[in-house]
Amino acid sequence: MTHPQTTLIDHPAGVAAAAPAGVVLCPQALAVLAQLDPSGANQLFVRVMTTYCKSLARLVAQMVAARQPLDVAALRLATHTLKSSSASIGARALSEICGSAEAALRDGRLDDLSPMLDALLAEAEQVDIAVRQLLLPS
Amino acid sequence: MTLPNAFAADDSSERPKVLLVDDDDVTLLLTAVALRERGEFDIIEACSGEQALAMLEDWTPDVIVLDAMMPGLDGFATCQTLRGLAGYENLPVLMLTGLDDEASINRAYQVGATDFFVKSTQWSLLAGRLRHLLRSSRTRIELERSKSKLARAQDLARMGSFDWRKVGPHHVEGLSLAPEALRVFGFGPHDLVSLRRIVRMVPMPERRGMIRVLTGVVNQSTVLAIDVPVHLRDARVRIVHVEAEPEFNEHGHAVGYTGIVQDVTDRRVAEDRIRHLANFDALTGLPNRRQLIWRTERAIDHARRLHHRAAMLLIDLDRFKVINDTLGHGAGDELLVEVARRLRSCVRHSDQVMDSALETAGLRSHRTLEAVGRLGGDEFIALLPEVLDDADAERVSGRILEAMREPVWVSGQECFVTASVGISIYPRDGQTVADLMRNADVAMYSVKSTGRNASALYSPMLAGRGREKLELESALHKAIERNELVLHYQPKIDVRSARMVGAEALMRWQRGSTLVPPADFIPLAEETGLIVPLSEWALREAARQAKIWTLNFGFSDSIAVNLPNRMFERSDLVETIHQAVMGFGVPHRVIQLEITETGLMKDLQNVIPSLHRLTEIGVEISIDDFGTGYSSLAYLTTLPISELKIDRSFVRDLGITPQSSAVVTAIIALARSLGLRVIAEGVENLRQMEVLHRLGCTVMQGFLFSKPIPPDELEAWLQQTVLPRKAPWIVEAGAELVEAPRSSGIRRP
Repeated sequence: MTHPQTTLIDHPAGVAAAAPAGVVLCPQALAVLAQLDPSGANQLFVRVMTTYCKSLARLVAQMVAARQPLDVAALRLATHTLKSSSASIGARALSEICGSAEAALRDGRLDDLSPMLDALLAEAEQVDIAVRQLLLPS
Repeated sequence: MTLPNAFAADDSSERPKVLLVDDDDVTLLLTAVALRERGEFDIIEACSGEQALAMLEDWTPDVIVLDAMMPGLDGFATCQTLRGLAGYENLPVLMLTGLDDEASINRAYQVGATDFFVKSTQWSLLAGRLRHLLRSSRTRIELERSKSKLARAQDLARMGSFDWRKVGPHHVEGLSLAPEALRVFGFGPHDLVSLRRIVRMVPMPERRGMIRVLTGVVNQSTVLAIDVPVHLRDARVRIVHVEAEPEFNEHGHAVGYTGIVQDVTDRRVAEDRIRHLANFDALTGLPNRRQLIWRTERAIDHARRLHHRAAMLLIDLDRFKVINDTLGHGAGDELLVEVARRLRSCVRHSDQVMDSALETAGLRSHRTLEAVGRLGGDEFIALLPEVLDDADAERVSGRILEAMREPVWVSGQECFVTASVGISIYPRDGQTVADLMRNADVAMYSVKSTGRNASALYSPMLAGRGREKLELESALHKAIERNELVLHYQPKIDVRSARMVGAEALMRWQRGSTLVPPADFIPLAEETGLIVPLSEWALREAARQAKIWTLNFGFSDSIAVNLPNRMFERSDLVETIHQAVMGFGVPHRVIQLEITETGLMKDLQNVIPSLHRLTEIGVEISIDDFGTGYSSLAYLTTLPISELKIDRSFVRDLGITPQSSAVVTAIIALARSLGLRVIAEGVENLRQMEVLHRLGCTVMQGFLFSKPIPPDELEAWLQQTVLPRKAPWIVEAGAELVEAPRSSGIRRP
C-alpha cells in the first residue's frame, strides 16, 4: 500500500488542522492514530506527536554525534528506533531511509552511509516541521 | 458475611497482565494505547530491559512483550536473564523484531522467547498473537497442574510409573522409575535404582518365579501383570503390583516396557481376610467345606495327570451330640477346637495352597493341598493328595484314632471322644469330589453301625448294602399302614402234660410274595426308631389274637411279645398295653413281655420302674436269651420277673459239650431258688428235650414241636397234632412223665 501523493484529510476534532500539504506524513497512518482515540479525550494525537518530536530530536542528536567519530552500533540503534517510530506516525519516507541506513550499517556497507545519513537528516527536518505544524493550535 | 476486600477488588486482575518493554517511546506509547483500547489486557510499560527485570522482582505479568533492539540490555539479553529467574522458566515472552530480520528471529528462539512478532501498526494482529500466547500458556499451566495432580494421586495410591529399555545397539538396558515409583520401593526421588536391585528385593522363592515370569513376558512381548512381595530397606514387606505393556519401535520391534508399580499390600490384606472368611471355618480356623471341595478338585486333577492315588478321610466324632447336649454348646465348641488341633497334627496340614502364578511347576506342588478341614458340625475331612495304597491312608486314620485317645478337657471336665473314619480312594472309589465324599460317608457309616471308634475303607458292597437299607427303610415305614406285618406264633409246650402253655409272637414282614425274616428288618427298625410303632402294633395284634383264640378254643395262657429295651424306657408302655388289651376285652395277663438279658442289663435303672408297674397290672416279664449276657445275680433277685428263657445256644450243645449242660443246670437251679419259671428255646430234637426234662426244665419251645406259624395254622396244629397226641415228642414226653414226676415248671404265686 503506497500513497505517494498525500494530503491531510478530515482531521479529527481537537487536533490541529491545516498542515501543509506534503509527502512527509502519510494520511492513512495518521487516520489509524486518530482511530485509537476517536473522541480525542485522551489527547492521544498530541501525546504521540509530542513524544515523537522529543524522540526525533534526541535520535538526530545521537546520530550527529555518532558520525564523527563513527559509532556504528549507536548509529544502528538510532536508525532502527527512528525507523519504527517514524513508521508509526506515517513518516514513511524517513522510516524507509532509516531502514536503508540500518541495513547498510548492519551489512557493513559504510561507503554508502554518508549520503544516506545526509538524506536522513534532511528528511528528519521536514518531518519535524510537518509534525510541529500539526501540533499548532488550530 | 462480607467478603474480604482482596476478593472484592479482584476484578481487574481477571484480565491478563501484559508487560511491554521498548526503548522507543513512540512505539511503547502507541502499542500500550492500542492494546489498552481493546479492553482485554492490563498494560504495564517498561522502557528498558533493566527496568523490566527490576519490576519482575516483586510482580509477575502473564505475558511479556520485548523489543529486540534496545540500548543497554537488549531484548535477547533480557529474555535470557529472565529465563534464569525462578518462576519465569515458562512465562510467555513475545519478541518484537523487524520485518526482514531473520537473524533476530532465530536468536529470539535461542534465548528462550516463546514467539516473535514483526513490529507493525496492525494492533489487532498483536492482540491476537497475545491471546494465542496466553491461551497456550494457560493450557500448559493446566497440564503442569494436572501432571502434579497425577503425581499426587499416584502418590496417594502408592503408585508410580516406570520405563524399561531393552539392550539395543545404541543404549544399555535401563530402568527408570518416576519419583512416585521409587517411593513405592522405599527409595528417595534421587536414588538410582537398577532392575537388578529391585529384583533382589523380592524374597527367594517368589524371586525365582518372578524372574521366570519376567523372562517369559519379555520374550513373548506380552503384557505383564504380576503381584510380588518385596522387602523394603526398613525391613517392611509390601506387596507390589506391577503392570506394564510392551513398547515397539517403528520397525515393530519391542524395545522396552512402560507401566506402573503399585503398593497393593492393604488391598491384598483385605482380600486375604475376605478369602480367609470365605474359605476357613470360623471356629476351628480349618479350611471349610468350600475350600475342601476346591482343594479336592485340584488334588484330583493332579492325581489324574500324574496317575497317582489320593485319599479322602471322612472323620465323624462319636456321640458328639451327647457332649453338646449335656455340657452345652460352649463345651462342644471347645471340644471341636481341640479335636481340630489334634487332627491337624495327623497330616502335613498346609493352611495356604501355593499360588500357581508364582509356584514352580514342580511335581510336589500338590502336597500343599494336604489338609484337615471341617465340613460342619462334628464332621471333618482329611485330604491326602497322594497316597501309595490303602495302607497309606489307613496309617493316617490310625493316627487320627490314636490322637483322639487322650481325654479332652472341656468346661473343667475330662471328656473322652472317639471318631469313626470312612476312607475313599481316588480313582478307585470315585472320580469326582462328590463321589469321594459320598463313598467316604458310606464307609464312615459302616464304622458307626459296627461299633464306632474305627476306620473303614469304602467298598462297593457297603454302598450296595446302604442302598438296599435305604429302600428297606422306606418300605418298612409303609409296612404298617399296608398291613404287611404279621405275627407268627411258636407254641410253648409243657412236655409233662404235652400241652401248649403259651405262645411266643414273632414278627414277620409279608413284603409282596416274600416273607422277610425278623433278622433282616428288626435291626434296621431299631436303628431308625421304627421299632416303636412296630412294637405297639405287635402288642395290639397279640391282644387281638388272644381274644380270637379265647373264643375259638378257650385259650387262657399268654402270648409273649418281644420288646426292645427302648420300649421299656417309654413311660407310656403301661398305657399302650392297657389300651391294647382293653380294646379286645382280654385281661392284661394275656400279654407277656420278653426282654433280652443284654437289653435289660444295658439300661437297668431306667427299665426297672416299668417292670414293676407292668407286674402290678398282671403283665409277666420273661428274660430272653438268658445266660448270654452278664447279669448281675444281685439284681436278678430284686427284679419283678417271672421267667428265664435258656438261650438256644446252650440247648443246641446239650449232650454234646458237658459245659452246656452245666450252664443249663445252673440256670435251672437259679430259677428255682428265685422262684422263677424256666423255659428252653431252640429245642430241635428228642434228645435235647429228654436232657432238659431230666435236668428239671419241662417247658420248651422249638422246631421239635413247631416252627413259628400263622395263627390259623397253630389252631390246626393243635387240632391235628396235639389233641390226637400223635407227635413223637408226645409219646416221649408221656414216657418221661411217668419216670420223672418231680420235674415241673414252677409258677410264682
